[in-house]
Amino acid sequence: MKKTIALLLVLVLAAAGLFAGGAGESTGADSSTYVIGFIGPLTGDNANYGIRCSNAARLAIDEINAAGGVDGKQLQLIAENSLGTVDGAIAAYEKLVYSDNVCAIIGPVFTSPALAVAQRCYEDGIAMITPSATHRDVTSVGDYVYRTVPSDSLQAEVAAHYFYEVLGYRNIACLYAMNDYSQGLAEGVEEIFTELGGTVSAMETCMVGDRDFRTQLGAIRSTDAEAIYIPNYTVEDAQILEQAYQLGMDLPFLSSDGFSDPEIYNLAPDFTDGVIYVGPAQAEASTTLSDFQAAYSAAYNGDQPDSFATNAYDALYILAAAIDRAGSADREAINTEIKATTDFSGANGIINFAANGDMIASQGVYEVEGTTPVYVGSFQVVDGSIVQVD
Amino acid sequence: MATLVQYLQYLLNGITLGSIYALIALGYTMVYGILKFINFAHGDILMVGAYTGLLTYTALLGDSTNPVWMLTAFFIAMLVSMAFCAALGMFIERVAYKPLRSANRLAPLLSAIGVSFILSNGAAWIFGAQSRRFPYPFDDTPIVIAGLSITPHQILTIVVSVVMMVVLTLFVNRTRMGKAMRATSLDQSTSELMGIDVNRIISMTFAIGSALAAVGGILCSFDFRVYASMGTMTGLKAFVAAVIGGIGNIQGAMIGGLLLGVLESIGAPLLGIPSALRDTIAFAALIIILLVRPEGILGKNEREKV
Amino acid sequence: MLNFFQLIIIYAGIYALMAIGQNCITGNTGMLSLCHAGFFCIGSYATAIICKTFGLPFWFSLPVAALASGIVGFLIGVPTLRLKGDYLCIATLGLGEIIRNIATNVNPVGMMSVPRAQLFGYQFSSRNKFTFILLIWFFVLIAYILFRQLAHSRLGRAMVAVREDEVAAASNGINVTKYKIGAFTLGAAVGGTAGCFATAYTLTVQPSSFTFMVSVMVLCMVVLGGMGNLLGVILGAFIIEFISYFPQLVGLSSVIPAQASQIIYGLVLVVMMICRPQGILGRDKYRYGDPRSTFSKLRDAVKSRKGGEVKA
Repeated sequence: MKKTIALLLVLVLAAAGLFAGGAGESTGADSSTYVIGFIGPLTGDNANYGIRCSNAARLAIDEINAAGGVDGKQLQLIAENSLGTVDGAIAAYEKLVYSDNVCAIIGPVFTSPALAVAQRCYEDGIAMITPSATHRDVTSVGDYVYRTVPSDSLQAEVAAHYFYEVLGYRNIACLYAMNDYSQGLAEGVEEIFTELGGTVSAMETCMVGDRDFRTQLGAIRSTDAEAIYIPNYTVEDAQILEQAYQLGMDLPFLSSDGFSDPEIYNLAPDFTDGVIYVGPAQAEASTTLSDFQAAYSAAYNGDQPDSFATNAYDALYILAAAIDRAGSADREAINTEIKATTDFSGANGIINFAANGDMIASQGVYEVEGTTPVYVGSFQVVDGSIVQVD
Repeated sequence: MATLVQYLQYLLNGITLGSIYALIALGYTMVYGILKFINFAHGDILMVGAYTGLLTYTALLGDSTNPVWMLTAFFIAMLVSMAFCAALGMFIERVAYKPLRSANRLAPLLSAIGVSFILSNGAAWIFGAQSRRFPYPFDDTPIVIAGLSITPHQILTIVVSVVMMVVLTLFVNRTRMGKAMRATSLDQSTSELMGIDVNRIISMTFAIGSALAAVGGILCSFDFRVYASMGTMTGLKAFVAAVIGGIGNIQGAMIGGLLLGVLESIGAPLLGIPSALRDTIAFAALIIILLVRPEGILGKNEREKV
Repeated sequence: MLNFFQLIIIYAGIYALMAIGQNCITGNTGMLSLCHAGFFCIGSYATAIICKTFGLPFWFSLPVAALASGIVGFLIGVPTLRLKGDYLCIATLGLGEIIRNIATNVNPVGMMSVPRAQLFGYQFSSRNKFTFILLIWFFVLIAYILFRQLAHSRLGRAMVAVREDEVAAASNGINVTKYKIGAFTLGAAVGGTAGCFATAYTLTVQPSSFTFMVSVMVLCMVVLGGMGNLLGVILGAFIIEFISYFPQLVGLSSVIPAQASQIIYGLVLVVMMICRPQGILGRDKYRYGDPRSTFSKLRDAVKSRKGGEVKA
């Protein structure tokens, strides 16, 4: 028995050792294409975010390839499932970087996997652009980490100023999920809103996946809040809106870019009227966004992209431009070129990167009329007060 | 400040939430009562039931807005979904659990987990990852009485779960088939010797349990939406409800479900802790109840492990 | 691909430790517990807090993690182990969920950029997988030897006796409660150390990754490998991890739909269980709720030890 075990262990270690030599070698990279990796949840509870982002990235790639590719070479997207977990994201990363030898990564979609992958990207020297990981810590991991989504602190700043200065609320309540995205926004808004002199009379929490929010709404009703801020994922927001109606509450609702998912209008079409949310800015003169939305809808059976998918689309174009300027699949050169991106004009307006890789952009404000979001304008906070950019 | 009305509203919310748990727990408890194994796939059958119901309902309804036809279509959809899930439940039992009936008790548990994976990912594949709304087949304007509001679909859920409980109790206690089920649950091999077709009884149990899951799936999708992984957490909560009430006991499932719903709804404001900790409250209550009554509230106290 | 295989071996090692812990609870002592994800969580956080917040070396976190999850296991065990069978299962499942729920409420983002493990100045980097494999499988080996010895000791035999028949064990002078709590604490401690290595490899702790599905998977590994058979459960851990990541290993994952690989995974579980319900290296004789007489089971249990086999 002991011998068998010893033998087995030796075999495993020997096999692993043999493979160790092969770890660094480049495999399978076809020199006639540029291979780009995508990491996101393609199965599980939050799969729709991952699927939309990968669809958008794939659409961008198809468009670029149809237009002749990047300096004569075609782009190829390899999408890997992160399962929404750290383990899964690391496995996807390993596969993309070592087996597929990708030149850069789009993703991961959620913050925690993004933090784990960002660490590895920083060590291995490969650029990643996340379309949706909003937590402020993501880009603080180090170089090589970028995002085409505003960090939660940026969005919260604009949101809090807008609620206080433009909408004139002095007392709001928050109902947010305990996850990196919602908590980051809710706490950011609470902090800034209070600094401005407003009151946040309730900070009610829930878990992602909860479907009953009547207790929290009941608690908010007993405060004298003028509006409720709900920076959550689509399904939670839909439930909150409907259950507030069922409880006979008619407070106005404020939300975040999670609300830009058109799915909300299928889930709660009767209750979205009047919701004001902060989302991506739009370049007024450009038709990139509407073109993208039409193309996406045509390519994926009428499904509509959300703002994170739009971010993924922009991320891919930014990456393609960087590859073009770098002129090779060299990871270092591509990283340098992504960093050098200036005034990129994408579906979400004009994008620049700060030194830490955060996106610098103004924020758009939308007001929902019935089931149609109407663009109010884009805003920035300058010297402690909100300024409408256009 | 929380007022009395507010707490009454919490209580009411808890009862409506709990009646959903109760409805699903009934199916769980049926299967467990006979086979003594945790059917992890029950939650996923619920999901299949919700999708089948939704598809049938939208197909039947078409563009019609006739209120009578809407209700009729809804009940037809429910029957179709129950039939489909009953067949599915029997099929799963046949393929994945029956070969393991004599194996150790954990083998079917694993098999059930495999089935659960297949069903939920299969649904995600076919229907996509988005959630869907189950349109109300009736006017769902909330009814407000003395500051307390409740909606028609919540009343429907409560009524259906009570009716189901009564029907099931009568079925198990008063019919021949029910008697055979009780006998099988007590001792399979002796029942077989007494001339009971145990295979048929087990098949029937799965059919009934799965049909109940279909009803639960449709009714809970008003509140929970329809999506591929909807059964996982709902199923788990329902199972907890069944255990609290005393698993294998039909009235127990009802009591457990209501208790769990009320605890989730009222626990956090009562204790003054964040609502995101409601699962902690629910599970802590489960553990405390089990410690006080190791067989659940209405469970029979079996002297030794079976 | 070769690199990816190493990753699977690392993950398999982490889960093998978990499975060894679970085996001590379920395989040896016969308690159906579903809160290994909770112990895993505690171990992971212990490492993250000790290495990052306190800046202490990784090696220091190993005993702390084991101790912390052991203590939690003990505290959980004392009240709940009075419960039997599925009631214990659901109570422990609830505890696992409570641990995750609290961890999420304390900090939903988790911890990141945890410093790496070092040995004599050598850093166990996630890039150099071979040394990491050596590190983790060294500890798997230690756990294996320890638990093998344990199984042969008086303690281990008492545990088996408790599993086979509590009443008979008690009437033979075995303090059933003591052994149950002991086994549970020990299993929890090993689960905690698995968390250490997971953190040391991914350098990130995320509370939402400790769902009850993790506990279920660990239980799967034990049942699949063969309950009570240490080598079996290690093999089970390897097989489950291998199946999970097989599509990525061979590059199929980007070709077939993501759900398809999950469906295949489910199918494999069902088929494997139907083909070998007692587990790959498990023995047919041992069954839960076996109606055979207490004495013949006990006799078999004692007999099987004479051949030096750990199987039961």
